[in-house]
Amino acid sequence: MAERSFAEEVEKLRLGEGDVFRGEGILAVAKALLQAGVAYVGGYQGAPISHLMDVFSDAQNILGELGVHFEASASEAAAAAMLAASVNYPLRGAVTWKSTVGTNVASDALANVASSGVRGGALVIVGEDYGEGSSIMQERSHAFAMKSQMWLLDPRPNLESIVAMVERGFELSEASNTPVMLELRIRACHLYGSFLAKRNTAPTLALREAMENPSRDYSRVVLPPSNFAHEVEKIERRWPAAVEFIKSRRLNEFLGGHKGDVGIIVQGGLYNTLMRALERLGLADIYGETDIPIYCLNVAYPLIDDEVKGFCADKRAVLVVEEGQPEFIEQAINSILRRADLPARLIGKDVLPHAGEYTGEALQLGLNAFFDAHAPALLRRSPPAPSARADLTKIVPQRPAGFCVGCPERPVFAAMKLLEKEIGKFHVSCDIGCHLFSILPPFDIGNTTMGYGLGWAGASAFGVEAKQRTLAVMGDGGFWHNGLTSGVGNAVFNRNDNVLVIVDNGYSAATGGQDLLSSRAENSRKSTNNPIARAVRGLGVEWVREAHTYNIGAMKRVLKEAMTTAFKGPKVVIAQAECMLNRQRRERPQREAAIAAGKRVVRARFGVDPDTCTGDHACIRLSGCPSLTIRDNPDPLRDHPVTWVNNECVGCGVCGENAHAAVLCPSFFRADLIYNPTWFDRVLANGRGALIGWLQSFGDRRQRKLAIET
Amino acid sequence: MSVSVRPIKIAIMALGGQGGGVLADWIIALGERAGFQAQATSVPGVAQRTGATIYYVEMFPAEATAKRGKAPVLALMPVPGDVDVVIASELMEAGRALARGLVSSQTSLVFSTHRDYAIGEKIAMGDGRLSSQAMLEALGASGARLHGADLAAACAGAPLSAALFGALAASGALPVSPESFASLLREGRGAERNLAAFEAGRAAILQGESKQPSVANRPLVSGRGGVSRVAERIGADVPREAGDIARIGAERCADFQDWRYAHSYLDRISNVAAVDKEAGPGRGFRLTAIVTKRLAPWMTYEDAIRVADLKTRSTRFARVRDDVHAAPGQVVWFSEYLHPRAEEICDLLPEWLAKAVLSSRTLKNGLNAVLGGGRRVSTNRLRGFLPLWSLAKLRPWRRASHRFSVEQRRIEAWLARVREIAVGDYETACELAEAPVLLKGYGETYERGVRSFESIMAALGAVRASTAPAATLKRLLQAALADEEGAGLARAIAALSPADAGVREQA
Repeated sequence: MAERSFAEEVEKLRLGEGDVFRGEGILAVAKALLQAGVAYVGGYQGAPISHLMDVFSDAQNILGELGVHFEASASEAAAAAMLAASVNYPLRGAVTWKSTVGTNVASDALANVASSGVRGGALVIVGEDYGEGSSIMQERSHAFAMKSQMWLLDPRPNLESIVAMVERGFELSEASNTPVMLELRIRACHLYGSFLAKRNTAPTLALREAMENPSRDYSRVVLPPSNFAHEVEKIERRWPAAVEFIKSRRLNEFLGGHKGDVGIIVQGGLYNTLMRALERLGLADIYGETDIPIYCLNVAYPLIDDEVKGFCADKRAVLVVEEGQPEFIEQAINSILRRADLPARLIGKDVLPHAGEYTGEALQLGLNAFFDAHAPALLRRSPPAPSARADLTKIVPQRPAGFCVGCPERPVFAAMKLLEKEIGKFHVSCDIGCHLFSILPPFDIGNTTMGYGLGWAGASAFGVEAKQRTLAVMGDGGFWHNGLTSGVGNAVFNRNDNVLVIVDNGYSAATGGQDLLSSRAENSRKSTNNPIARAVRGLGVEWVREAHTYNIGAMKRVLKEAMTTAFKGPKVVIAQAECMLNRQRRERPQREAAIAAGKRVVRARFGVDPDTCTGDHACIRLSGCPSLTIRDNPDPLRDHPVTWVNNECVGCGVCGENAHAAVLCPSFFRADLIYNPTWFDRVLANGRGALIGWLQSFGDRRQRKLAIET
Repeated sequence: MSVSVRPIKIAIMALGGQGGGVLADWIIALGERAGFQAQATSVPGVAQRTGATIYYVEMFPAEATAKRGKAPVLALMPVPGDVDVVIASELMEAGRALARGLVSSQTSLVFSTHRDYAIGEKIAMGDGRLSSQAMLEALGASGARLHGADLAAACAGAPLSAALFGALAASGALPVSPESFASLLREGRGAERNLAAFEAGRAAILQGESKQPSVANRPLVSGRGGVSRVAERIGADVPREAGDIARIGAERCADFQDWRYAHSYLDRISNVAAVDKEAGPGRGFRLTAIVTKRLAPWMTYEDAIRVADLKTRSTRFARVRDDVHAAPGQVVWFSEYLHPRAEEICDLLPEWLAKAVLSSRTLKNGLNAVLGGGRRVSTNRLRGFLPLWSLAKLRPWRRASHRFSVEQRRIEAWLARVREIAVGDYETACELAEAPVLLKGYGETYERGVRSFESIMAALGAVRASTAPAATLKRLLQAALADEEGAGLARAIAALSPADAGVREQA
């Protein structure tokens, strides 16, 4: 079950002609796919497009009614390969993932489908994880579109434009027999807005019909001689067809005024930020009215030479607003202008940042520099002085992401930290997933991350004899995505002698808690409960251990054994415990219902005694749990803040386990709160309470006598 | 081009899991009901896992759109210097908004003044907290309209997002009546809890309250016998500047051991006070005050007897119930995570026996094997309570224990150096008086503290020979709290010149 339930959102997919859809950008795309008569949808979850996957997972009824097949693909490569269905048949298909990481994984299949060409519209929806809030390397999907010759749509970030572009995207794909990428930036995916819905359309050709009436055409297969023919076809037939379609359907927009000798060319996705910057400079109003000519590229690739030339012909200077690097569009426009021998000066990265997100402030400064140099008379207001306060960064704390309250991965790294104290440091190769937070404080464990499922492969160079083994970490998500073959298969085949820890928390947790092959939950539509241990043994790993993560002592012993055993060969430790976020989401309502129904419920949580805590915080350095925090020392004789456990504690027990495993301090206590106690609970509590209370009364009397009055 | 109507721009600064998204949804719904077109976006991503996130909302009057016949172009991210309302779920998140330039004179800043400490602040070996005071001053100087209160305390565990919504209503920053805020919550899920938190948040802002954490004032009870004699001595022998702390310290010592022990505490203070007095007027008995404060926790070190005593008190039982938010009368069982080692047992043995055990690997290992590592002791069940309670009753025996003599010797050595140095170099003596802050914790933590303390004591000669001894000593103390391995301290001591080391030998 995913982190969020999308029951409400699913209903939005049913909206009919003329209804107003209100919701998130990525859900608007989901609705637009159904309106466009998509036959199949696949993808791999990941911010910022997870919600599209989640809502389709929960929308099986609607999809069934329309005859749409949805698959939560094993990886982006698997998703991209789905598009093969559109090569031979007029089937519209869409796939989605987080980019550029997902596009990297998918690029083998993408290059093939782009070479084959498509009959049915093929749409690749990429959530461009770039700029603030991103968790990946900062690159552009643009390069993939160019190298495989797929068209790249970058619509203006409002729901109307995005939805329209989904439909145009399919048409463009079909008109030019080329797969089309639709790029949505993080904020556009999470954008709340509205659009006028249309009714959903069933696919013109059902998948079943295609299966029952197969057709094949060997010229669509990437193998000589067709591969050479494909390249020629791309240039001679598909490109001109695309240009014709984009021009005739006016996918790019000429906005703003038509006078003046300076203009701006902007990627569609940056349009709103550009307009706000112009408004702040007094050059536009809030409705987007401006005298400055603006050429808005809702299609970022290919460029339409005629449109570019037409726009630049009467201009002295043109500013290109293009986020990220390299500046492909700027280079291409320069080349168009040079070939056409047009004199317009092209300004871009010389006034705008080469790297990083184009924020409102960055654009204001760039625009100001542009106008200042090329049309100073237009400038009505200079940009407001930068109001960011560098002087304050020292008194504002950094907040790196970390493991959630009660996360079962925390004890794995606490055990590693303790083990390092015992056997010395070792090289740790990390993977992608929540467990990568181990590289941050307080654990500071990890050397590299080479991609999803590549944790073990990332340590494969260390395949020699040494006094210390290497340790690789992989999540269950990464394991099934790629790690099974690239990591485990690779290690078995090459007789690796090192260690892999697979964090098996039952979900693809970092992306929102989607189910996996090894999830423990029953899932009526997917095959779950396929144990990782069985898969690993099946590949030929002989040394496999399973350990419960919350038992830190045992976890440390298993890791130590793996790191020091005389056994030669790959060693796999499977660290198991359910993702706490998902577990709480499931159990908390059940518990509350049980308490309300009068059933006996025991709830555990932890605490720290302030009078024995001395404020060293060694426990926090081994944990980093958000609920394990500090507060003023209540003792006027001590200054250092004491540790305490706030009320978010879910009672996972790691604090106590750490206190034991690391021999920390006696301050931790566990409290079991009993709701709806039985008469036996009460009798026991009262009896013990009375006896203990009587014994305590002697001490109470002594302490009362100690108070000094001055 | 028209310039009259502009959108209302709202930025929400929250930490992952604090309900920033829920709050944004409420604000959108509120706006739409009040006749605005609302657009919102966010960049949650990995920051959802405990990091800092920003949600951004723009609201534009639907009337203006209709009049103009054209929809506005709304932005997807806040622009510095152009945000009307900033809502921050925590003090430093308000600060982050200020640092990013989102808080300006056009801004209404609605924020909770409580702190959620960041990991960097929490993992410090001493006090790594950033200054709330500095932040409050910076916010005060921003020119923004401030609406701040400790909303976490106000809503007492209920959803903070609802308390922030209440605070927003109270601020009057949005052109929407407070009743519309409340009616929105009334129709949603968890209405009762949300409304309670909403009202609490609203009230907190309206009252302009900001609850400061306070040290509980315990009512004083008059006493006889030992009490009055110690009280007299504090009045007579301890400088006024150190009197309050001395009272608490003397109580603590008497509680730890007996009245005689409290008197030795006061003896030690008066010895320092005598030197302090000679050091001349104008110093305000600073040295004595520091020693008074640092000596008491040291003298009442946490051995097994002390821990057992503190763990079994009735006041502690009550505090535990309070800490875990137990309802009155609710049955609560609690248990302690104890991990006694041979060292802790030897602390209680007579010195000769302790030394014998600790120097024999077999005996030590045997003892550790018998103790059997970590155990959970349920203190409010008799089986757990009685052993701890009985252990606490060993108090009178403590004077004969190994740890007791070790600590007393160490204390005397330290006091002797403090008094000696104070005569010539008052400032350095004051720094040295602070050194016992290093002695804290249990097990390895405690051993590391002792190692740091001893190496600083051993380096005093070199410190005094350095150009600015007080500053040098202060640096060493900071270095000792900088890392767990003691590498920083070792480097800092090694950096004191070899010439200094020679002086150390003579000293």
